Amino acid sequence: MAARPTTPASPKNQKVKAPQPGQPMYGCEHLQRLFNQDQATTNTSIQHYKAILRTIFDSIPLIPQTAKTLDGQIVTSLTPTYLCLQCPSTLTEADRTKHGSKKSHRFYVESRSGALYCQMCDDIVWDPTFEELRLKKLGTGTFSNRKRKNEELFETSDPVRDNPTYISSNTTAASCKASGLRGIYNAGATCYQNVVLQSFLHNPILRNFYLSDGHSSTSCETPHCLSCAMDDMFQDFYAIENTNGYTAANILSGFWISEKKAFENLVTTKEQDAHEFFQFLAEELHERNGDGRKPEIGSEHSCNCIIHQCFYGKLQSTTTCQNCSGVTHQVQSFLDLSLPLENLSHKKGKKGASSRPSPGSLTLQECLDEEYIKSDKCEYRCHNCSSMQQARRQTSIKRLPNVLSIQLKRFEYKQGRHERAAKIDTTVQFPLELNMLPYTNRARGQDAKEDYELARSCIYDLLSVVVHVGEIDTGHYLSYCRVGDQWFAFNDHKVELAQKSDVLNSRAYLLFYVVRSLS
Amino acid sequence: MSSETGETGKAGIIVAAEDAPPVDKLSHAVLDDLLYNIIHDLVVKVHRDEKVARANTAAIKVEKLALNAIDGATTDHKPDVEIETDAAIYKDGRVTLKGNPLTTTKEVLCPRCHLPRLLHPTDGKGAKKPDPGVIYCKKHPYIEKPGYDIYGQTWVAPGPGRGKKKKDQKLDPSDPSSPAPGAEGSAKDRPPNVLSFPSATCSKCKRCILVTRLNNHMGSCIGNSGRNASRAAAQKISNGSNAGSQNNDNTPPGSQKGTPRPGSRGASPRKRDGDEFDEDGEESDQTVTNPKKKKLKPNALNKKVVLKPKSPATSGGNMKKDKTKGSSMLNVEQKVDDKDSTVQVAPKKLTPNAKGVSPAKKIKLGPAKPPLPSPAGKKGKRDRDMESESSGTLSSPPPR
Repeated sequence: MAARPTTPASPKNQKVKAPQPGQPMYGCEHLQRLFNQDQATTNTSIQHYKAILRTIFDSIPLIPQTAKTLDGQIVTSLTPTYLCLQCPSTLTEADRTKHGSKKSHRFYVESRSGALYCQMCDDIVWDPTFEELRLKKLGTGTFSNRKRKNEELFETSDPVRDNPTYISSNTTAASCKASGLRGIYNAGATCYQNVVLQSFLHNPILRNFYLSDGHSSTSCETPHCLSCAMDDMFQDFYAIENTNGYTAANILSGFWISEKKAFENLVTTKEQDAHEFFQFLAEELHERNGDGRKPEIGSEHSCNCIIHQCFYGKLQSTTTCQNCSGVTHQVQSFLDLSLPLENLSHKKGKKGASSRPSPGSLTLQECLDEEYIKSDKCEYRCHNCSSMQQARRQTSIKRLPNVLSIQLKRFEYKQGRHERAAKIDTTVQFPLELNMLPYTNRARGQDAKEDYELARSCIYDLLSVVVHVGEIDTGHYLSYCRVGDQWFAFNDHKVELAQKSDVLNSRAYLLFYVVRSLS
Repeated sequence: MSSETGETGKAGIIVAAEDAPPVDKLSHAVLDDLLYNIIHDLVVKVHRDEKVARANTAAIKVEKLALNAIDGATTDHKPDVEIETDAAIYKDGRVTLKGNPLTTTKEVLCPRCHLPRLLHPTDGKGAKKPDPGVIYCKKHPYIEKPGYDIYGQTWVAPGPGRGKKKKDQKLDPSDPSSPAPGAEGSAKDRPPNVLSFPSATCSKCKRCILVTRLNNHMGSCIGNSGRNASRAAAQKISNGSNAGSQNNDNTPPGSQKGTPRPGSRGASPRKRDGDEFDEDGEESDQTVTNPKKKKLKPNALNKKVVLKPKSPATSGGNMKKDKTKGSSMLNVEQKVDDKDSTVQVAPKKLTPNAKGVSPAKKIKLGPAKPPLPSPAGKKGKRDRDMESESSGTLSSPPPR
């Protein structure tokens, strides 16, 4: 774009965002006047706005929430305060008008969202220049346009492609009706596939990859390629007006034809496990898009394929010998986190109902605590002592993936005459917003609590939920996916609106969280 | 805390009792402030969406006027004119706002197609009748109505085992997404928002299969592994009457007693299994010739009566049986196919798949189904199925 904002540190002139078709140039007439005064005013306004955003999003909330009233009293409020754009004051809503008439400062930044309030409009204004800065700060934590790590996932800054006419002249716009919201027909006990496919379809990273021709089904030579089938499916969902359900025939046939021995069991006409299908699909897509090496779960192998960029993270397990205090680290890559519920729900049950209002229910965080914070005892062969020793083993997440997939192991083996699997129906409460920082190895550092930037990079938003209803050996899968802020319930070919409460009250089996700031 | 400004927080909704202790008042005030924040954040979000949409609408409108003013003489995106509307000014190729777009602009134009957005759903909760004289953007608000999806669509009940013939006949030809819908116009009987299940083409045999049967079809068409075949063989031995086929003619003689064999085709043993779905098989397969159809139909009907009690078997057993049948069929059918690829093969081949497919619902409900007419026999069969199944297929015990 022509008006790429300059880097924050440079003394260069700040620029107002260039006019875009279909969009006014300024948020309101008053901002227009501010920006058209002279370059110096524009510079200070933009710099002040950036500084205020940094205060709001990078420091502890106490600072922007503390205002000084006109009579010099310091007030800290839970409710929003207003930070003056033209001077360093922070004001309560009540004092805003007085400050304005006294100093004739007209623009304030609201302390919760960073939105700009214009006193003359008496309204919040959404100025393209300021809004771009705000969204960048919210999205990536930085104002700069530095290249993103996973560059090929996103638009590149090729000069040819940056030309706005390049895209319009080389593409046809998809219909406004094509929203990516379609059901997938059940082809006979394939609901376990449908739920995973829906969660892939609404995964922004995979969507961008496929819609930006990441794997072109027209040029792929592999017969019955599952990635091509995915490509076709993305096209059908996001470019075609059809609102009828989708028939995933190619996925299905690719699946039948696939010769993955490890997943041979899946190839039956019976009901299957959605998690196994997820693993199957992920590995299959990795092989089609990746370096061709077989992924070994448990090894540190990682490649740059879309699946690895999307789902794979790294776990580090630290084993400390109880005898010599020698420490060994082991790093493994993971596709998903599997959280056992069995032990925890039993423990909870024993503790008694007094500690909790609902004794049978767990929270996702408790399950994560159990796996990635607490350490367990084990025996291992210590190199220093050259003998078997008692050791403490502790696992934490070394690298968080962009899309975190969590499986709640809702099955257990019942001991008894016949060992058989049973389903655990324990309610596990899961949040819409998940902070993964405590489960990373960086959380061990003491200063980590202070580092808001780090904390923010570990915030995940719930993206989709796969729910299993019924018994262990038979039942049905449903899923919920979020598109923007709206949740949708997918039941095979049927798509319905869903409330957040529907989502949060469901008995999740698989959870997909997407990182909030893709940095 | 804004406690000094009043008895409670900013929202003023959660108020402690007059004589409550200070801690109570404080906690009420905190809760009240938090409630205020939640509402504040929501309102800011909605405000942003709406105001940006209106501001862009104002810009789109004035840009359109500017383009019209120069009469399309140039394809330049920045016509050199000055236009002013109630909401915006176009000058020097830039748009600036006049006043607050929330008050100056009442409608919302789609930023892509520049058509007005429909602001209310057309059906269900909060529905309003759209103005018939306006062409709206195709992106409509989602519909919230029980029994319908977000587009206001609903589906004809696939109805496994119910109203067989008629239902199925209605289902298939009216299918909108099948490549060439049949000539029968039963689709007209339905409102346009009632959809039926489509058919899809099998990537291997290129046949058109009703989607609900696709998985089973592919299971037998593509996924005919040795494992299945062996199971099929086991099945055949234990259950000859069902899986009998005329090519390897070790079928117990009793099983074919009631089956009149129409000529050299000898398709009948199979026919019985698939009775239920015969019709769509033929319907969806456009190559089927009419006389043949007629000939086959009565057959199917007859057999149906004989075998009906078997169809509502419990889920596991049922599925397995179908599968094995499917694969055993396939072995045979493939051969037939090679020799003589006439049209009749299609329906025949489809049949094994047909029964099991009665869509997922049936399978799911399996255990809850009413008791079988001959529980003992069925049970035995099922157990055998289980045994053959357990041979290493269940590597992990996931919830199914």
